[in-house]
Amino acid sequence: MHADGGLFSGSTENVMRWLAGAGILLGLSAGAVLLFVLVRKPEWRITAAAKWTLLVGVFVLPSMTMLTGNVVGFHNTKQSCLQCHTMDPWVSDMKDPKSKTLAALHFQNRWIPDDQCYTCHTGYGLAGNVEAKMGGLSHVVHYYITGVPPVIHIHKPFAVATCLHCHGESMKYQKIDQHADPEMKPKILSGEMSCFECHASPHPRKKS
Amino acid sequence: MTDAPVPPREDRGPVGWVTAACYLAFVGIGFSLIHFLWPTPLLFSLFMIVGQGAFGLAMVLYAIAIVIDLKRQKVL
Repeated sequence: MHADGGLFSGSTENVMRWLAGAGILLGLSAGAVLLFVLVRKPEWRITAAAKWTLLVGVFVLPSMTMLTGNVVGFHNTKQSCLQCHTMDPWVSDMKDPKSKTLAALHFQNRWIPDDQCYTCHTGYGLAGNVEAKMGGLSHVVHYYITGVPPVIHIHKPFAVATCLHCHGESMKYQKIDQHADPEMKPKILSGEMSCFECHASPHPRKKS
Repeated sequence: MTDAPVPPREDRGPVGWVTAACYLAFVGIGFSLIHFLWPTPLLFSLFMIVGQGAFGLAMVLYAIAIVIDLKRQKVL
């Protein structure tokens, strides 16, 4: 039994445990099918029976394994921002009750209940596109090989759409005259104007 | 130069492509299993880059094998 409601609870953590188990089973099955194919004579690999075996062993089972790996890894990675000491100053500020930065206010007021780093920084594309893979690779290279740069910058301007995703439809947002101003509204919606031109900085400007 | 007849090369069709696809899919599955068992950010990155990269390449080789096979059977 698990402390978070048992083996069959619908909590996200539990679902991920089951998915990881399914992924291991799928991967082992795919490996067994591939091994079966590879130990046969090469000529067998173009027979009609081999074609169906290969469809399952090279395409169906591995695809499902990869997809499961993506979902489980993606979930774990959303919680992994704090695992690198690199981000400590920003996380400390976010959790500092005296801090008035936007990140701290969102954390203190539970405006974002879970995965606070990821929720605002979805622009990193953790879902697995090529850009995300290159971004992940560069983080690995920096962390393990070249060292973390002394000054860390966000790699591209923060997307206004991320703020508008939660705030854009709220009455509080729409009541502000500047947000509805015919000159400013298109600039905000197009991303030409950043939220942080008027609002407080989301994080401390420098490491402290 | 001799006029000895050259023996016809054995047509193995897409066997080589299929075999390479199998090995690459194996690599991809290996990385995914490692990442399932030890879910660390580093292993997730390796799974996303090396594992999925190898699997993607396996899919390309598998597709090439299918095209070669269809051409052999004169379907294409």
